[in-house]
Amino acid sequence: MFEDTCIEGLLEAAIVMQKGQLARESVKTNTTSIDGEQAIGPGRHNHYYYFFLAVDDICNKTFFRILWVLLLLFCISGSPIDLKANFFKILSRPQWVLYQYHVDFKPVMESRRLRSALLFQHEETLGKARTFDGAILFLPHRLHNSTVLYSETRMGEKVQITVTLTNELPPTSPVCLQFYNIIFRRVLRMLNMQQIGRHYYNPTDPLNIPQHRLTIWPGFTTTILQYESSIMLCTDVSHKVLRSETVLSFMLELRHRTGEQGFTAACTKELVGLIVLTKYNNKTYRIDDIAWDYTPNNTFKRGDSEISFKDYYKTQYSLDISDDHQVLLVSNVKKAGPSGRPPPGPALLVPEFCYLTGLTDKMRADFNIMKDLSTHTRLTPEQREGRLNRFVGNIHRNANAQAELTTWGLNFDNKLLSLKGRVLPAERIFSLALWHLQYEYNPWQADWSKEMRGIPLISCRPLENWIMLFTPRNVDVAQALLQTLNRVSKPLGIPMQKYEDRQESLLKALQQNVNPATQMVVVVLPSNRKDKYDSVKKYLCVDCPTPSQCVVARTLSRQQALMTVATKIALQMNCKMGGELWSVDIPLKQLMIVGIDCYHDTAAGKRSIGALVASLNHGMSRWFSKCVLQSRGQEIMDGLKGALQGALKAWLKHNKCLPSRIIVYRDGVGDGMLQSVVNYEVPQIMGCIKSMEQKYEPKLTVVVVKKRISSRFFARIDGKLTNPPPGTCIDTEVTRPEWYDFFIVSQAVRMGSVSPTHYNVVYDSSGLKPDHMQRLTYKLCHMYYNWQGIIRVPAPCQYAHKLAFLVGQSIHREPNTNLDDFLYYL
Amino acid sequence: MMNSIFTPPVYIQRHEFVVDFVKKNKPKKVIDLGCSNCTLLRKLKFHREIEVLAGVDIDSDVIRNIMYALAPIPSDYLQPGDHPLTINLYQGSVTDRDPRTKGFDLVTSIELIEHLQLEDVDMFTEVVFGYMAPVAAIISTPNADFNPLLPRLTGFRHPQHRFEWTKAEFQTWALKACREFGYVVEFTGVGQIQGQEESIGFCSQIGVFQRVRSLSDASCRQGDVTEERLPYRLLYDVVYPSLCDNNIFHRTLMNEVLYWAETLRKGQMVTAGQGGEHTERLEERMEREESQTGGEQQCGRREVNEELEGQTTAQGHEEPYRAGRSVCIPLARLWSCPRVQALSGTVQHLKEVLLDDPRVEVTEDDTVMVLAGDEEDDDEDPELDENINNAETDQSLDSSVENKDWEIDLG
Repeated sequence: MFEDTCIEGLLEAAIVMQKGQLARESVKTNTTSIDGEQAIGPGRHNHYYYFFLAVDDICNKTFFRILWVLLLLFCISGSPIDLKANFFKILSRPQWVLYQYHVDFKPVMESRRLRSALLFQHEETLGKARTFDGAILFLPHRLHNSTVLYSETRMGEKVQITVTLTNELPPTSPVCLQFYNIIFRRVLRMLNMQQIGRHYYNPTDPLNIPQHRLTIWPGFTTTILQYESSIMLCTDVSHKVLRSETVLSFMLELRHRTGEQGFTAACTKELVGLIVLTKYNNKTYRIDDIAWDYTPNNTFKRGDSEISFKDYYKTQYSLDISDDHQVLLVSNVKKAGPSGRPPPGPALLVPEFCYLTGLTDKMRADFNIMKDLSTHTRLTPEQREGRLNRFVGNIHRNANAQAELTTWGLNFDNKLLSLKGRVLPAERIFSLALWHLQYEYNPWQADWSKEMRGIPLISCRPLENWIMLFTPRNVDVAQALLQTLNRVSKPLGIPMQKYEDRQESLLKALQQNVNPATQMVVVVLPSNRKDKYDSVKKYLCVDCPTPSQCVVARTLSRQQALMTVATKIALQMNCKMGGELWSVDIPLKQLMIVGIDCYHDTAAGKRSIGALVASLNHGMSRWFSKCVLQSRGQEIMDGLKGALQGALKAWLKHNKCLPSRIIVYRDGVGDGMLQSVVNYEVPQIMGCIKSMEQKYEPKLTVVVVKKRISSRFFARIDGKLTNPPPGTCIDTEVTRPEWYDFFIVSQAVRMGSVSPTHYNVVYDSSGLKPDHMQRLTYKLCHMYYNWQGIIRVPAPCQYAHKLAFLVGQSIHREPNTNLDDFLYYL
Repeated sequence: MMNSIFTPPVYIQRHEFVVDFVKKNKPKKVIDLGCSNCTLLRKLKFHREIEVLAGVDIDSDVIRNIMYALAPIPSDYLQPGDHPLTINLYQGSVTDRDPRTKGFDLVTSIELIEHLQLEDVDMFTEVVFGYMAPVAAIISTPNADFNPLLPRLTGFRHPQHRFEWTKAEFQTWALKACREFGYVVEFTGVGQIQGQEESIGFCSQIGVFQRVRSLSDASCRQGDVTEERLPYRLLYDVVYPSLCDNNIFHRTLMNEVLYWAETLRKGQMVTAGQGGEHTERLEERMEREESQTGGEQQCGRREVNEELEGQTTAQGHEEPYRAGRSVCIPLARLWSCPRVQALSGTVQHLKEVLLDDPRVEVTEDDTVMVLAGDEEDDDEDPELDENINNAETDQSLDSSVENKDWEIDLG
């Protein structure tokens, strides 16, 4: 069990109390809005603060304060660690309030610009610091409740302006936070940074990867939010990939490569979905389509007359179009037109004046490009801290920026936030079903591939009937693999089949040689060409359900690494057939862990793929997996309901009962989707569980897992800023007051800065202590069988990701149900 | 009111008039007096033959609100212009002498003078023609003769106008200025109504002034800036990236060179395995022949090359080849890329840049060796989770989203 100190026993009463409170609070979180409408006191999820709240209720303060200190010292597992985080506190004057006014014009003025001009004639009343959008005015100071001003238009028309105070906004109000963000954007612009999309980048010192015509601009992501106890700026280094070529030159090159025939299709595939930057203004557009029958000679209506694109750019921007035959790009502008009119309809763009930004899917899949990029963009913790400090330093030094901030009475702290975290204890890895064999790993490396050597696995599938396919050219590597496999596992007698290096022949070889008794198919691929891999997986996951193992010949060609590779392959093959490798102690009974992830297929038909993976046994070593394909616009959970029921049935079959606790880790939730997970998915999950049996009410927890976050943590160890050790858990200061959330750094990285994972418990009826929730989460990060170490998310999330990715990338259909009980997608 | 009678609106016509003048006369330094919200400057910044663009206005708030609209945009960095461009915005009065306004090729003063007190106009004339002394000046002002044609107009067109001149008054003033400061003027204007009486003229009358005398260098170029009083306050100063900046030039050219080297290498890999050795032999031979002829000129070498090519196959020495992990490309081959040629101008210049860059080496026989980095061609195995924990890249290289309009307009 968890640390059984007697102190914990002593405090049991207190914990029970805290648990009750927690359960109440979670329900509240679940039912009230998540957008943080109201000002919120100290953190509720974080259980010592939490406990403190409960204590206040009781009044016997002194006694409980002591208990609280004891709790802090002993009850929470893990050793404390001093951390720094990429947050800067916002310092404002005490009692700072933003005043919101409504502004009325009499007679009514149509033009927003005119309204601003008229209002700003009264600088002596309003002051220099003001923000006005045409109707709402923000000022840092108070006017009389209702102020009437008189202005005059250029035409001499007299206008009466009434300014009425409508609201006094405390710093924590959402409007105020949005306002902070706007002020901050102004400040960034003053630092001569370029806005692309939502973030700001520094164009003066670009990194270039000329081989791929890529230009990378360093910049920063910034958000100002209300965190646990204060409003802070969270800023992280970000890089923007731009292409120093226009869409036109990209299209010409593509045509050169594909020829006239395949050009249309290839062009659509490569370009649609990309974001372009125009040459003449500072706007970005998403390419939604290509107007194949439009050229710059076509005309559009401008005012009352028709003008050709060519003439328009010539007169408007003095830009000449060199290629009259280029087809135009279509972008559906979503933003509403002036004064709330409907969007103006699709914009047509001239490829010659558009620069590509970001990476194409093809580039993302190109390992070499990604490697080049990461060598340029990866920063060690010290480099990262340096950049962040320079950034905030620049803001402090820039006179204009300071002037802007001061007029509003704001400023930023000049150093990174310091806070305390805890390092959760390292887990023991169990190896035999009998649990008597266990080993530990080096907590800094978070990897046990060495420790595992020579230790038997929990369960091994005998490999009796399997085949290996390879091309004549790869006879040598296939033989080498076979020999090494024999060395790493027990000797196997295997019939070996050759196949020709052609797709049809590969398929034919599969059809002729794979039969229902075949346990495993190993295919040595001559290259990592996707089509071959896809056809193997399609056939063996759908048509003829058989676990399969693909390996690229190149991987086997390095002699010195062959032993390691063969070991990994042997373990992987074992898992795919239902073998179990290791386990950790899970101190909860009848617990089912569920992982959900989805994959959005942008290329083919825009379908979404949802994957659900659920544990089948206590040791979390057997999993049930299901994947569903959804058409666009359909909620992912609709399809996964059936999958969850399937998982519960499978659990019932394996355990002869239904689980009494279910914890769902939901990955793949975008920022805007959190609310829909809470409002829609949680009730769906509950309904689905209830439908299993009458009066079946297991304890349920739903945790949203987020990997792509901009929070970073650094530890100072031996005077050097480093990554925090695996197991570092953070649940104070940088968490959100309205959520039950925490961060865990579970993985170890060899290069760059580690990225923590954010966990947000959006529903919880389990009564588990936050500490136990955190430790359980961390334990699950140990359980991914394709990596002999700790990974950044709980294993079921990674399994679900892997499954969704395989189906979305290669299979495009629902895999055969015979495979449900196997980790065939590893 | 005026804007509805004319298409395009008369203020646009005035700006187009200036733009046409700029296109025709290609001034390098342009200053706009009374730039207000910089509409004209924002149009002019697209004319990259202009190297210095300045604006002056008495109202600093209006400039501060708009000045960032004159900042370079991302594409200016992605494809730096050939010419430099500096934009300066000043707060100041056109009746003050600031040495930084001297030496311009064009001064524009669009619908400005009518906002001055009549007694200040002489001062303005003296400052513009006598002190700034530009090569040319475009000065526009309302034509009072035209006012009866404007519906519902009583008094001046704008409450802040101090005066509005008739055609005759404007011309008298202009001709006097010409006599005094050595200019010639041509009268024209923008904004006419169909069927109006021709003699009334234009809605906005414009005088285009050209300097007759050329001034001595000392008085026409700014230079002694430090010694003089600077009554104008510099509010905004931005230098656009351009190829005239040595670092930018170097970077742009090298990016192009390395891109082509990579493209040629890829092309080579397709035909790899044939004639690698052959190529090296040819190189030796080329060296030998070169040593016989001694210090050849560039063109001479070209001849040798062509001669050699005649004797060899298509994969002759003009083709790149690999030496170890580096790629070797004959300089002439790189030079043949039009973009490289356009950027560097001469082979010699290209070579100088290449010699300066640690990523390439230029051998004695003018072969450019693109040194391989420490990367290896590596494929990712689809089933081995090699990089499971190093997901840093996909986060920071987030694909961009469309601009969301966060900004509450500042008015």
